[in-house]
Amino acid sequence: MQKEMAYSFPDEVLKHVFTFIQSDEDRNAVSLVCKSWYEIERWCRRKVFIGNCYAVSPRMVIRRFPEVRSIELKGKPHFADFNLVPDGWGGYVLQWIAEMAGAYPWLGEIRLKRMVVTDESLELIAKSFKNFKVLVLFSCEGFSTDGLAAIAASCKNLRELDLRESEVDDLSGHWLAHFPETCTSLVSLNISCLGSDEVSFSALERLVDRCPNLRSLQLNRGVTLDKIANILRRAPQLVDFGTGNYAAELQPDVFSNLAGAFSSCKELKSLSGFWDVVPAYLPALYSICPRLTSLNLSYATIQSPDLIKLVSHCPRLQRLLVLDYVEDSGLEELASSCKDLQELRVFPSDPFGAEPNVSLTEQGLVAVSLGCPKLQSVLYFCRRMSNAALVTIAQNCPNLTCFRLCIIEPKTADYLTLEPLDAGFGAIVEHCKDLRRLSLSGLLTDHVFEYIGTYGKKLEMLSVAFAGDSDLGLHHVLSGCESLRKLEIRDCPFGDKALLANAAKLETMRSLWMSSCAVSFGACKLLGQKMPKLNVEVIDETEPPDSRPESYPVDKLYIYRSVAGPRFDMPPFVWSMDEAVKILH
Amino acid sequence: MELQLGLALPPPPLIPIETFDLNSYGNYETREALGSNALSWPLLKLGPADNDINNIHHHNSSSSSSSSSSSGGGAGCKKRSFDEAPFFDEKRNVPKTLHLLLWTNQPNDEDDDPSNVLHENSSSAIFKNDGEGLVGWPPVKTWRKKVHHQIPNGGAENNRLPAVENGIGGRASKSTYVKVKMEGVPIARKIDLSVHHSFEGLTNTVMRMFGICKIADGNRKIFKLTYQDREGDWLLAEDVPW
Repeated sequence: MQKEMAYSFPDEVLKHVFTFIQSDEDRNAVSLVCKSWYEIERWCRRKVFIGNCYAVSPRMVIRRFPEVRSIELKGKPHFADFNLVPDGWGGYVLQWIAEMAGAYPWLGEIRLKRMVVTDESLELIAKSFKNFKVLVLFSCEGFSTDGLAAIAASCKNLRELDLRESEVDDLSGHWLAHFPETCTSLVSLNISCLGSDEVSFSALERLVDRCPNLRSLQLNRGVTLDKIANILRRAPQLVDFGTGNYAAELQPDVFSNLAGAFSSCKELKSLSGFWDVVPAYLPALYSICPRLTSLNLSYATIQSPDLIKLVSHCPRLQRLLVLDYVEDSGLEELASSCKDLQELRVFPSDPFGAEPNVSLTEQGLVAVSLGCPKLQSVLYFCRRMSNAALVTIAQNCPNLTCFRLCIIEPKTADYLTLEPLDAGFGAIVEHCKDLRRLSLSGLLTDHVFEYIGTYGKKLEMLSVAFAGDSDLGLHHVLSGCESLRKLEIRDCPFGDKALLANAAKLETMRSLWMSSCAVSFGACKLLGQKMPKLNVEVIDETEPPDSRPESYPVDKLYIYRSVAGPRFDMPPFVWSMDEAVKILH
Repeated sequence: MELQLGLALPPPPLIPIETFDLNSYGNYETREALGSNALSWPLLKLGPADNDINNIHHHNSSSSSSSSSSSGGGAGCKKRSFDEAPFFDEKRNVPKTLHLLLWTNQPNDEDDDPSNVLHENSSSAIFKNDGEGLVGWPPVKTWRKKVHHQIPNGGAENNRLPAVENGIGGRASKSTYVKVKMEGVPIARKIDLSVHHSFEGLTNTVMRMFGICKIADGNRKIFKLTYQDREGDWLLAEDVPW
């Protein structure tokens, strides 16, 4: 029987069928069917996603998938965004590039997030991959404009260069001029993270001129408002545009030039940038507002009345990022104008101020939940919350997939009842059955974790700060959340018991971060010894953890599953608990 | 408190040993506010509760965990590989591998549990200025901290932002942490400026952090403290008053 099957489906046919299978999950399933499918599949896998660059070694990836064309790697833990991971922790991409340079001559796409990328890495990319098309450096660091010049000069068919939120060393503004005149292939260019001096505007104009397929362009802050019209007129086919500064003295001719330039962009759907906004120039956008689906005003320090006016012109808006200057009144207007809204992010204008500087409360979010039935993703910074509001939001928005609430003052109770916010968050996890991501804040007891463990069956990522009473809280989450992949915790009274009792759970997750909790050094060592497929890393910048009693808590703990064993690039302040690594530096 | 190893495989069906009484955690109103009876069933389903944490059985229990990784031939690099492994039983709350500690459903003992004391110690390490100056809180990316240093009241014309290196806010910021880098050392450190009152104190702390030991007074002349001002220029710290 099997022989017949083999003859009726030759490898080439299977290979062809597999090319239609794009998702990683499906490909993994295919590879488990039988040995021959595993073999065929691995030779035709073109795209690899590695959520933790230390979970596997480059050599292992290359050995299994010899013909990869596109790779995505993530490095540092998420809390690195908030300065909780010391500099020098790791996440270096160089070794990956070096090994892939030899093994994947046809590699065309590299996407990195939170990794350290040096100029040497960029130069190696530039000279190793003849068909290089896509470079995305999301929240990366360690490189300068020299490295960018190498990429620009060598990559003849570059389609995408996206440096969003990366930290770039400004050495010279002329790297853009290194794109050869023959380069006409750019589709997407995001240089919004660069400082004022780092971009030669004339080089940029010429580049935009000769790239007719440019669809997405995010300028850096140094580009002034008068120059925006020039760029737009050269690229009316843009779909996604990030302005630089949006400020200038109000002059009628500048205004009408700008308005005309915007109106010539018939495909424009997404806007961002808007540093330093002069509100009087916002009406220049009105002609394209009816088509806008995405608006990022999170750097725009404009007040609620101006925001309301703008937003009321955008009935098709699906995604809005804004500062809390929008206030409750602005969000109420949003709720009545933008019925298609799917994602809302409200950032704090004064995160460190003790007193509220704007009138933004839980009411704004409640209004949006009432008015926007398609709401799926929320990130909301505010200063007060109530269980009643959270229950209302949960009932209004059962389709939420991502709910991140940050009440600025830690351990803030329900402002109406002075109780913990357990019931409110409980309602969120109970009603929003597809919730994949949740961030908690406010006063919370172990109860909230009980709810989360009970209802959060699809929860993949959970962020916790200043919450819980005891190990029971952590135990609820680790034992209840079946889909949990990433858990990050800071300043919670969680200790050894829950962690050790659920040690096996950690092998089913990508990673666990715990800082300023109560996990002892002894427990870390035990985990490291007994769980060989976990890398247990203790981070302590002040002194070695073994210079203190074993019962003393560790400062920061990062645990992740890995088939590559302990890593070799740990800095002096990171200690591996792996038994094989005997030397604690 | 010495940690004891409790390596044990949980018994196959999960027996709810004790229903965890929510009442003991107080707050009836919260359950009723939810308006559902969903939480009336026991939430802690575990292996046999062993009140004596010292009851240990040692096991060579690595076999079941290693088998899950060998399926798919070294499926280490796919993000879903562990979920796909046929040996992982998704129906159970607890995977069929080892516990390192048998869960006892006793709440943390206040007396001999060092975690309370430790929590205070660890939080005091973060709360340097009486609860202000928390590192990484609120969770706002450095990018965004650099933007919000304006006085919003009709300041639309006045949109010149100071280029702040370290995320210290404008008028009302409480964060006083700065990054300190030493030439030749790849790792930067963070220092809280507000606990220092003089250049001498600051220099001493910096030297201690970078492991420069003081040999009489000689060293202080070799190392110089510099800072970067708003325009990005590096200046000698001691040229200006504290």
